[in-house]
Amino acid sequence: MSGSHSQLAKKAKYKTTIKDPGTPGMLRMTLEKFMFTPQNPKSANKVDMEFRFIKGQKHTKEDPTKEKPPPALLNLTDRQGGSYIFQFDNFSDLQHCRDFVGKVLSKSGEVSERPTVTCADEQLSTAEMELRMKLLQEDSELQKLHRQFVIGGILTEAEFWATRKKLLDREASKKAKQRVGFKSAMLSDIKGSSDGRTNKVTFSLTPEIILQIFAEKPAVHRAFLSFVPNKMSEKDFWTKYFKAEVLHSTKNAVAVAAEAAEDEDLAVFLKRDVILENEARRKIRRVDPTVDMEADEGDDYTHLPDHGIVREGSKEVTESQQELYRRNLSQDINRHAAVVLEGRAVDVELEDTRAIAEALSRSKQVNGESDKDSNQEKLDRISRMTEIEDLHNSHDLPLAPLCIKDPRDYFDSQQANALRSSGDLLPGNEQIKCNLSTHEAYGSLRDSISAIKRGGLKDPIVKPEIAFQVFDALTHSISTTKYNIGRNPQESILDTLPKKTKEELLHHWTSIIELLRHFWSSYPLTTTYLYNKVSKLKDAMSQIYRQLEDIKGTVQADFRHQVSLLVRPMHQALDAAIQHYESDMQKRSAKSGERPNGHT
Amino acid sequence: MVQFANVIVYSYQYLLDPKVAGIISKELPKESVVVFDEAHNIDNVCIEALSVSVRRQTLEGATRNLNRISQEIDRFKATDAGRLRAEYNRLIEGLALRGNLPTTDIWLANPALPDDILKEAVPGNIRRAEHFLHVLRRLVQYLRGRLETENVEKESPVGFLVSINNHAGIDQKTLKFCYDRLHSLMLTLEITDTDEFLHIQTICDFATLIGTYARGFSIIIEPFDERMPHIPDPVLQLCCHDASLAIKPVFDRFQSVVITSGTLSPIDLYPRLLNFHPVVSRSFTMSLTRDCICPMVLTRGSDQLPVSTKFDMRSDPGVVRNYGKLLLELVSVVPDGIVCFFVSYSYMDGIINAWNDHGILKDIMQHKLVFIETQDVVETTLALDNYRRACDCGRGAVFFSVARGKVAEGIDFDRHYGRLVIMFGVPFQYTLSKILLARLEYLRDNFQIKEGDFLTFDALRQAAQCVGRVIRSKADYGMMIFADKRYIFPNSFSITLTSKILNSLIKG
Repeated sequence: MSGSHSQLAKKAKYKTTIKDPGTPGMLRMTLEKFMFTPQNPKSANKVDMEFRFIKGQKHTKEDPTKEKPPPALLNLTDRQGGSYIFQFDNFSDLQHCRDFVGKVLSKSGEVSERPTVTCADEQLSTAEMELRMKLLQEDSELQKLHRQFVIGGILTEAEFWATRKKLLDREASKKAKQRVGFKSAMLSDIKGSSDGRTNKVTFSLTPEIILQIFAEKPAVHRAFLSFVPNKMSEKDFWTKYFKAEVLHSTKNAVAVAAEAAEDEDLAVFLKRDVILENEARRKIRRVDPTVDMEADEGDDYTHLPDHGIVREGSKEVTESQQELYRRNLSQDINRHAAVVLEGRAVDVELEDTRAIAEALSRSKQVNGESDKDSNQEKLDRISRMTEIEDLHNSHDLPLAPLCIKDPRDYFDSQQANALRSSGDLLPGNEQIKCNLSTHEAYGSLRDSISAIKRGGLKDPIVKPEIAFQVFDALTHSISTTKYNIGRNPQESILDTLPKKTKEELLHHWTSIIELLRHFWSSYPLTTTYLYNKVSKLKDAMSQIYRQLEDIKGTVQADFRHQVSLLVRPMHQALDAAIQHYESDMQKRSAKSGERPNGHT
Repeated sequence: MVQFANVIVYSYQYLLDPKVAGIISKELPKESVVVFDEAHNIDNVCIEALSVSVRRQTLEGATRNLNRISQEIDRFKATDAGRLRAEYNRLIEGLALRGNLPTTDIWLANPALPDDILKEAVPGNIRRAEHFLHVLRRLVQYLRGRLETENVEKESPVGFLVSINNHAGIDQKTLKFCYDRLHSLMLTLEITDTDEFLHIQTICDFATLIGTYARGFSIIIEPFDERMPHIPDPVLQLCCHDASLAIKPVFDRFQSVVITSGTLSPIDLYPRLLNFHPVVSRSFTMSLTRDCICPMVLTRGSDQLPVSTKFDMRSDPGVVRNYGKLLLELVSVVPDGIVCFFVSYSYMDGIINAWNDHGILKDIMQHKLVFIETQDVVETTLALDNYRRACDCGRGAVFFSVARGKVAEGIDFDRHYGRLVIMFGVPFQYTLSKILLARLEYLRDNFQIKEGDFLTFDALRQAAQCVGRVIRSKADYGMMIFADKRYIFPNSFSITLTSKILNSLIKG
């Protein structure tokens, strides 16, 4: 078997960690994957892994100089940083396996050499990878967690990010939405440069400007599509366009009309934009009903001809022939502002004029289709605008608003609870008094009364030491933590701790939250994968548990109380998880008695 | 519908304009309470309702209409001569029995016509349809002749009547019946597309008004617009000077009439203008929980030169530049929406062009988008809508508007839609207008209202109307700037008026 090129089988022990004594069994390797079957079929340590997830291998070296030869270990590390350690009986077996793995890995070299992180099902795109990297770089806490759990092999990359989908989405959507808009500057600001001697004026056009011209002047856009390049060259087109512009800037409607009569191509640019007017008709249907002056124009019949007094301004003295060529700066300004507000709909690389023109007309078609919803949109707008607040029920529901400003507030409120319970346990005078029976209390009262009768009131009614003791007990909690909180509500207990301890605690807290999140989301354990995950998580949790104990032990005596109060909820949460884990394990092992190798 | 409704909300014209009121408001019971809200311009509406202007196009259209009517009459003669005869008989008995209207309501149909006109028989010379047409043709011909004039002419209705009688042979009584006779004829001829006949209706309207009222009107014929003397555009205007004429039927007819507005100041001027005796007259001050408005008067530009839109100063480049600088500085600091009001369209066009040439407009656009009210309603509506969008999305925008324009009258710039309003200049009426001069003269002679007082009152109510656009509720806040040196000089503005305006601003 071992001589075969395509597969190999060796006796080995599988170790989850170096210190693990290992599960004896058989390790098989094929070109695609390696499997470990334990001798004891009940054992959970069964491995079935494909090589493409393996990043590399490490192994111990044979060192004949030592008295006791080191164990022949082969460590296959996967891309998530997890490792599979196998101990072989002798080094020759190890070498066989090592060579085999090396061969397989070099075959899939391009995969192994790529430093990307892959997860079980999805191949990540570079863009997503970059996004994750960026997030990690920006958030040091996240980075810490990532290092601790993912690199530490407790969680896989996919698991880690699965709970942070929102973060990824938000980041991604933020990127998509941001688009460069049009410049605020007007088109008419494109000033030609004249050389002063001749009558020639030179205009320089950029694709940016061309796009803006097309967007603001649909007639020019349409003319471009139909004229260029069949009828005239692009240069001629723009020459004509600017000739028209210059004519307009003279503000002489008669001259404009004369020019237009001579050259019908030029007339296209000089006439009023018919497309714009049609568009306006279309758009007016979706305007805000409260500003729709066109709608109530019918009511106000004073617009009818010959009615009322001719007021200043309402006079339109133009002849229809020239009216066609009259253009108004205000109209241009309005149009420009509208286009800027609409934003850029075209997403092409601005290089070719033709491409720009076509893309723009495409995007307009899309807009045209979306017009079908315009009726609904208008109805919505009407109902929104005409809503009269006084006639509505107040919108607040019978629910208290959820408002978590700072997770530390939660700590503080837990603190108060903890204090209350700890206060009860305090050995103090009131504690003792509570335990007195009525009879005893009555007796004591009588004693003191008779004592007073006998001796009269002594100078200090109560002995100072006793008074102090009582006072101390009563104000125990107030004087320490409560006092701190009361003095400055902004200041958390955490802030009173040494910086290092505080950071450690916070870090542990975030770690615990992360672990617990994964832990509880894994239940019920339906697959082996989840089972393994949970056991890994449990190990990590018990490690943190111990670390918390250490912090409690090492912290200065002054702060020990506070720290223990802070640590308590963490311990409680961990306890609950571990307890759940153990009871689940017990149930499983009870079941596996009947059904050997139950869930694996 | 009108009979069954408890509350009817409609435009003033439906009650004030005799032409429309006859159709719409004739069924309102006497006990109705009439409320004129936002009535600060009610005198102008009344005057508009009784004013007619006639141009060349009107006369051409009227001639076309007459031809069409005569065709119709010929057709009816051939097919249904009985109808025309029936109408003739009806007309002998007087307009009161015209059509199928119940006699009790007839007054309501003609609120502006004296009672006697309804009971009189229609004069014989216009009872027959063809004869009536001839009269109208002669009238149109006469008016065309009058339009050919080279000079500005001003005439009283009485003089005009005499002239018509001499030249066209139409007497006052005939003219008086023109409107109703046309109405009756169109009913008889079953003409439904009345919109097509607006021109001839205008002519008949003109004739009836001239025939009915001897005072309170004047006829002004201008061969061209003074500002554009090279373009011939003759216009004959019958202008009403007396706002009380149109509103009188309303006061007569309804028990309670309430006139209310945020900017009715000075409140004692309105009874004089409308010729009535108020039973109760009250001004209320508005209580504000905080200083939510900041009115300011700006008299000098950044270079310490006075700014004004006074006729001799308005085209001064220094003033234009100062106004531009003012706006430029404000757009860079004020959030969301800014509204600017100018005194007229022509001034706004001029100043925008000047700002554009000087590059000020470009600098303004660096901060906010610019939208402009134009005389095209569709365009203005779109501009307003875009303006709101721009304010909603946080881009911020400036809206250029005109005092007395439609936007100033009807559109609110509340909340973030208007955090600042600038009134560039004092929105005086165009004082060289012949119509205004005639009206001022009439007011002085008949109501003892001084010209200056009336103009100031009118300008300030417009200014208050404009700046009041930005505050629409107690929670709102905004800044108001009056940019003209005349806002503080008592020689042209009485101080009481200004203070009253500032008070009424708060009510806005």
